[in-house]
Amino acid sequence: MSSEKEELLNQLSDAVFELDEERTKQLSQKVVDSSFDAWEAIDQGLVAGVNRAGKLFDEEEYFIPELLIAADAMYAGLDILRPHIKPQSHGEPRRVVIGVVQGDTHDIGKNLVRIMLEVSGFKVYDLGRDVSPRQFVDRAVEVNADIIAMATLMTTTMDRMADVVRILETEKLRDRFKVMVGGAPLSQRFSDRIGADGYAAKASAAVELAKRLVGQGVVA
Amino acid sequence: MSTVSTISTRADELTSLERVGLALQYKKPDRVPVAPLVCGASRRVLGISYDRWAQDAKAATASLLASQELIGFDGFLTLVDLSVEAEDFGQEVLFPENSTPLPNFDNPFIRTPDEYRKVLTVNPRKTRRMSTVIEIVRGLAEAKGKELAVMGFVYGPLGVLSQIRGHAELFKDIIRHPAKVLEAVELINRSLIDYAVAQVEAGAHAVVLDPLYSSASILKKETWERFEGVFMRPIADAIRNAGGAVIVHNCGNGVYFDAVIKHINPVAISHAYPAYGSANLKEHAANWAKKVVSIGIGDPEKIGHEFSQDEVLEHCREQIEIFRVAEGGFILSTGCEFSPHGNLLSAATMVKASKLYGRY
Repeated sequence: MSSEKEELLNQLSDAVFELDEERTKQLSQKVVDSSFDAWEAIDQGLVAGVNRAGKLFDEEEYFIPELLIAADAMYAGLDILRPHIKPQSHGEPRRVVIGVVQGDTHDIGKNLVRIMLEVSGFKVYDLGRDVSPRQFVDRAVEVNADIIAMATLMTTTMDRMADVVRILETEKLRDRFKVMVGGAPLSQRFSDRIGADGYAAKASAAVELAKRLVGQGVVA
Repeated sequence: MSTVSTISTRADELTSLERVGLALQYKKPDRVPVAPLVCGASRRVLGISYDRWAQDAKAATASLLASQELIGFDGFLTLVDLSVEAEDFGQEVLFPENSTPLPNFDNPFIRTPDEYRKVLTVNPRKTRRMSTVIEIVRGLAEAKGKELAVMGFVYGPLGVLSQIRGHAELFKDIIRHPAKVLEAVELINRSLIDYAVAQVEAGAHAVVLDPLYSSASILKKETWERFEGVFMRPIADAIRNAGGAVIVHNCGNGVYFDAVIKHINPVAISHAYPAYGSANLKEHAANWAKKVVSIGIGDPEKIGHEFSQDEVLEHCREQIEIFRVAEGGFILSTGCEFSPHGNLLSAATMVKASKLYGRY
């Protein structure tokens, strides 16, 4: 890698890590103008910056606000770089349909999982908040998803997850998708009870679980 | 092995109010008080829809009273849901028939940082949702206030603001537009002070304040102190001046007990996890049980949905044993609202656990 490119990617990582969205956009444009590889800039610049922010989050130096702003910076850079990714340079990504279940609008945890899945190379279809069981199933079929990932923060809405599994079973679709669940009130026992394939207690564990479910092993 | 329903227990010597009052003073009552935070779940006792329960003071009061007769807990909590204050400041709220009301975050009252200026003080004695809660407090106090503890509820100003701006946007604004956030928090707080006092005047023995973001899972301690902690002291002082006790509830992970006590100085903290800096419940009890009364900390999901009644008994017994170091300063509860769809028999079993294992 040329020292100029290496320097630029480091600066890009720093800009995300330091929560500087404007600088992230400027540097992403500079990557494009310099005809450097967009995927490398995403992977070694934007994603590296978010991962550094995530490490500080785990170490309780960064908290939710810092993580959200780092993610905003990353997405701002992605908007500039994504059109320039060379399609032949990567394999077909695994697909995840993700959302917060019907009746619940707490989506920060879901958004963190979405970001970390995207950073890890998954193609994520985010259905947002208050998603009905039927919407989960229909969208998963439509995009030929590998995984349906559902989140909730409320005990009153967690049974919607069981409804999704029931629809999949009734419509003989259960074997087509892995189902994973997460959220504060849930547990492995709950996941087992509703017939999901896995439960993750936090965002980083959700990525490991997703990789395991699609046979990609555990993230180092 | 005996089933839970066949276990016989000794008769109580104190009223619920006496029991709770003594525990809050670190004086050993006859047994550990129990307050399983049965709020939305109470509607099922009288077959009331959630949307009605959340908006009809008479219906909510009747169902809370009926649930107490059924379960036998020692204190009422008038937590309706976390959208109560938000609606009165202008937020559209959705009322599902069978689930907790919630803000419509597709239509936030504050859409941009400049719109924080839309926040104005309100009169909680007249606005729709807060006045409803005040009336629930009044109804409970009039019906049972001489026998049972009646605890009002106020969501903290930063929490209220998150309900009218959206959580993620508020958290980002804290860094990008701190002055605008602080101005709105201050305005909201003025109304919350009135709201808390009105609940005491309606008969609440205590008011529970919820500073949800005083938790290491959300904000840095200094950030919480700056954006909410300093604002909660005047609410707490107003409650005390009106003759009520101040209790804190926070079901977040890793609550900053030191900062919460510094700014609010409550007689008790209702919590779902060990305090920030305590690795487990035993360590938490060693660090904090003699400094502030613990209310908790049963797992609401497990108690409501997973555990058999024998498992509920054992779960409660473990907690009672751990908090024996508090020498009376402990109230058995779920760490968060009793699951609105949970098994109500489990709440009754918590009371039974106190009678079996919680005698002093």
